[in-house]
Amino acid sequence: MTVDLEERSLMLPETVEGALAARLDGATILAGGTWLMRAPLRRESITRALVSLQAIPGLGDIAIGTDRVRIGASVTHEALARSLAGIAGLEAVATAASGAANPAIRRVATVGGNLCTRDFAAADLLPAFLATEAIVELRTRAGAEQLPIAVFLDDRARYLTDTLLVSVILPRNLVASTHMRLPLRKAGDYPVAILSVARDRDRRLRFAVGSVEPVARRWHALEEALAPDRGDMPLDPERTAALAASCNDFKGRDGPEADGWYRRQVLPALARRAAVALARQEGIR
Amino acid sequence: MTVTLTINGSACRFTGDPMTPLVDVLRRERFLTGTKAVCREGFCGACTVEVDGMAVMSCLRPIGLLQGAAVTSIEAMSTGDGPLHPLAAALEAADVVQCGMCFPGMVMSLSSFLRDSPAPTRTDVKAAMAGNICRCTGYERIVDAVMEFVGHRQGVRS
Ligand SMILES: Cc1cc2nc3c(=O)[nH]c(=O)nc-3n(C[C@H](O)[C@H](O)[C@H](O)COP(=O)(O)OP(=O)(O)OC[C@H]3O[C@@H](n4cnc5c(N)ncnc54)[C@H](O)[C@@H]3O)c2cc1C
Repeated sequence: MTVDLEERSLMLPETVEGALAARLDGATILAGGTWLMRAPLRRESITRALVSLQAIPGLGDIAIGTDRVRIGASVTHEALARSLAGIAGLEAVATAASGAANPAIRRVATVGGNLCTRDFAAADLLPAFLATEAIVELRTRAGAEQLPIAVFLDDRARYLTDTLLVSVILPRNLVASTHMRLPLRKAGDYPVAILSVARDRDRRLRFAVGSVEPVARRWHALEEALAPDRGDMPLDPERTAALAASCNDFKGRDGPEADGWYRRQVLPALARRAAVALARQEGIR
Repeated sequence: MTVTLTINGSACRFTGDPMTPLVDVLRRERFLTGTKAVCREGFCGACTVEVDGMAVMSCLRPIGLLQGAAVTSIEAMSTGDGPLHPLAAALEAADVVQCGMCFPGMVMSLSSFLRDSPAPTRTDVKAAMAGNICRCTGYERIVDAVMEFVGHRQGVRS
């Protein structure tokens, strides 16, 4: 399809309702633009109508409460990393936000964009939010809706047909968390595999993996295998790596940066590193 | 769509596709060709400019989001006939500029970083440069030159 560039329009509504109405009329949501601006390189077309969230007050805010943190969809990676730095339990999210992409991209790429880019497997925030058991807040034709992030990701394409993601809520029930990523260069490229690990107040461990399969998901097999160790603090790195190898139920995706088998293969090493990092954090407290 | 913004201090009006990348407005409409369009994917950093004081990749900034913004490109870092920006001069003096393709972006990223972090470590400098790729000199020499510049600046201040 060819698009007459001169005819493209961009709306900048000042309310969520205005943005949703434009979305329901077929406009594409434009957040930081770091994914959408590359559509021509992916040989994808962009709709004639776009709607920006930039002028909507509140979507760029982060509210840090004692029992939860609410992050607006327009919050940038840089702002998220800055706001969450040093908050116990949310280290995985802070590290995901500060380590993704490069500094210039982090200054504009938003939380909403990272969660809503359907075809992007290497999103750093996804495993971090999965391990945190984040809640996504959507605005739909029927009103406001809150969903666990895992439920949202399971059916993301359907949710995104007529929905605006307005915020992400992080419960503050974690004692420590960590985020491990394996890029091929030290920085700047998409990670080959990502592992976020969190421990909650009941000492329950949560593992989530990104970039290995097309969509990030929890590593329930490893969580179950480690469940009898719940009381063990810190987590034993070698045992974690061994169990990660025996519970590796991922089907690696082939991609330009790495083959699927390799993404799968590196998970036990990432699990070992994550166990060391988690132990270090738990030792601090 | 019509957008008004300032580019290097001059008022500028753009009419056209709101998804036009800022780099194309700079180069094609304002003839500010110091900003390089290389990868157009946000990976190389050659198109880095400042928007409202923040270093960003101009290949990925749609002009439609820049109503009222203040854009600074490499051309505004010196007067043209006057001396170079001190960081640009330091990099040139250390002979770390070869083909020159990455150089405007490096200067834009690093000058805004050094403005906000006056006493960075070597690791900080490397992290700040993570989005600026150089295919000629290798990074260590550029980092050496930046650290020397920082040291000299601190010496001058104290
Ligand atoms: C050089 C480079 C390196 C990168 N490296 C990494 C990396 O290491 N890790 C990583 O995680 N990411 C990486 N990224 C991806 C980057 O994080 C995403 O491009 C970014 O998060 C998208 O956010 P955005 O605000 O720019 O979204 P946009 O490009 O504006 O939008 C992306 C998609 O999300 C939709 N959307 C946006 N907001 C909403 C909303 N609120 N509700 C519903 N739909 C919405 C849009 O319609 C569009 O389909 C990299 C990007 C670049 C350019």
